[in-house]
Amino acid sequence: MSASQRKPGQIIPKEAASLRTLTATMAVMCYLACLAIGALILINQAVDNWSKGLSGEVTVQVREIEARDIDVDVAAVLALLSETEGVVSADDLGREAAEKLLEPWLGTEGLDALPVPRILRVTVKPDHPPDYEALAQKLSAVSPGASLDTHRRWEDQLTRMAGSLMLVSALVLLLIGGSAVAMVIFATRAVLDANQKTVDVLHLVGAEDGYIARAINRRFLSTGLWAGGLGVLLALGTFLLIGYAGLPQADGLAAASQSLFYLPGERWWITPLALLAVPVVATLLALVTSRITLLRMLRTLP
Amino acid sequence: MLELDDVGFRYGRGQDILRGVSFRLQRGAFSFLTGPSGAGKTTLLRLLFLALRPSHGAIRLFGEDVTRVARSDLPPLRRRVGVVFQEFRLLDHLSTFDNVALPLRVMGQEPSSYARDVMDLLDWVGLKQQAHAFPPVLSGGEKQRAAIARAVIAKPELLLADEPTGNVDPVLARRLIHLFAELNRLGTTVLLATHDQGLFKQVRAPVLHLQDGSLRQL
Repeated sequence: MSASQRKPGQIIPKEAASLRTLTATMAVMCYLACLAIGALILINQAVDNWSKGLSGEVTVQVREIEARDIDVDVAAVLALLSETEGVVSADDLGREAAEKLLEPWLGTEGLDALPVPRILRVTVKPDHPPDYEALAQKLSAVSPGASLDTHRRWEDQLTRMAGSLMLVSALVLLLIGGSAVAMVIFATRAVLDANQKTVDVLHLVGAEDGYIARAINRRFLSTGLWAGGLGVLLALGTFLLIGYAGLPQADGLAAASQSLFYLPGERWWITPLALLAVPVVATLLALVTSRITLLRMLRTLP
Repeated sequence: MLELDDVGFRYGRGQDILRGVSFRLQRGAFSFLTGPSGAGKTTLLRLLFLALRPSHGAIRLFGEDVTRVARSDLPPLRRRVGVVFQEFRLLDHLSTFDNVALPLRVMGQEPSSYARDVMDLLDWVGLKQQAHAFPPVLSGGEKQRAAIARAVIAKPELLLADEPTGNVDPVLARRLIHLFAELNRLGTTVLLATHDQGLFKQVRAPVLHLQDGSLRQL
């Protein structure tokens, strides 16, 4: 019989304008979520890089002090450093390098006459760094003009700033999620209103709330998947555009965007996983929110 | 089967639409419900198919007091009642076949199990050719028959029909009444609301007369 071979019609009609609007706005939300996630990963990565890069290196500054020969002091400090446990190497960057560092503030003229401190770059074992307190004391004993800068202050500040940025990104993600929930609730109400006649008839022929909710809920599955997919594609496009199109406006962000695709070593999976999670979370959020809303609203009907 | 005891109804704080309505339908009965327009026939039927709850009095359906039944227990009761609405209430986005099959579908039956029954019933009401047409292209009489087929497909114990011959010519009206009588003969209790006095001559059955919200038996 031909009737049994036909697929039965969808109980809730496909054409629901409010769902198209929801798909579009949810796609934008997913896009923004991807950007926020990208920012989170980048900041996290940057903090990691900073702390690794900086804690592998400290600086010793040797100031010129009257009645002392700075070259002798530098040589003494270098000798001390080379004997210190945990130090890999120590180089004098030389007067020229020190002058270069001062150039932006003082210009090139007349630097010769100024007492310019000398900078020694000290590479330390990151996992077994020297005892900095003891080293600082020994340094001032060898040369009163020598001081140790472990960059700890900078590092702490950068880490604190990065922590705040990560908190902001997480808050943004939370807000996006909250708005998405609100939008799904509105759309669910709109769909239910648009299908009021169908829902009434279903109730009167003995359909349970769960059955009606499932029939409507099915529409939200494709909404979530489409919105999530579109959002991720848009975000990938954005990261690629910023990273590789060589836009002068995106100079500073280019390297950052590129690095999203090349997370070091065993962490390569973080970006794809995070981006893949967006459509999954969006779909789950759409399904669960609309189902709860539907069951609540259906309960108020006769 | 169905028992009403001093049932009253009004919307909110408005006027009483029904007052002190009491009657009883035995299993297997056939009864007409009549009265002028606006007398409350449709409201009474809405109470009977559980779309409204009475403001006053008690309704017992299949031995259960429906004024006290929890909402979640309504679907199983509704499945035992078939309803033909005055305005048909077919779903325009579903074919005639799917409209008629709807009560079976919401019970969780698969198309393979109900397709034959639905086609047989469509054949019986003369809609086999229109099985895959959609309601907007059906004539008034065809919609009426589709609505009736949907009401009876799940073999309800109680059939409620609101002006089921209101939109058809006298010949078809006679055929439909015969259809109801046939269903009644097969065991379905039937309550038929109409103001078409001509129908009373075709089936010898008690007539409940509703006027100004009150009921009297003719």
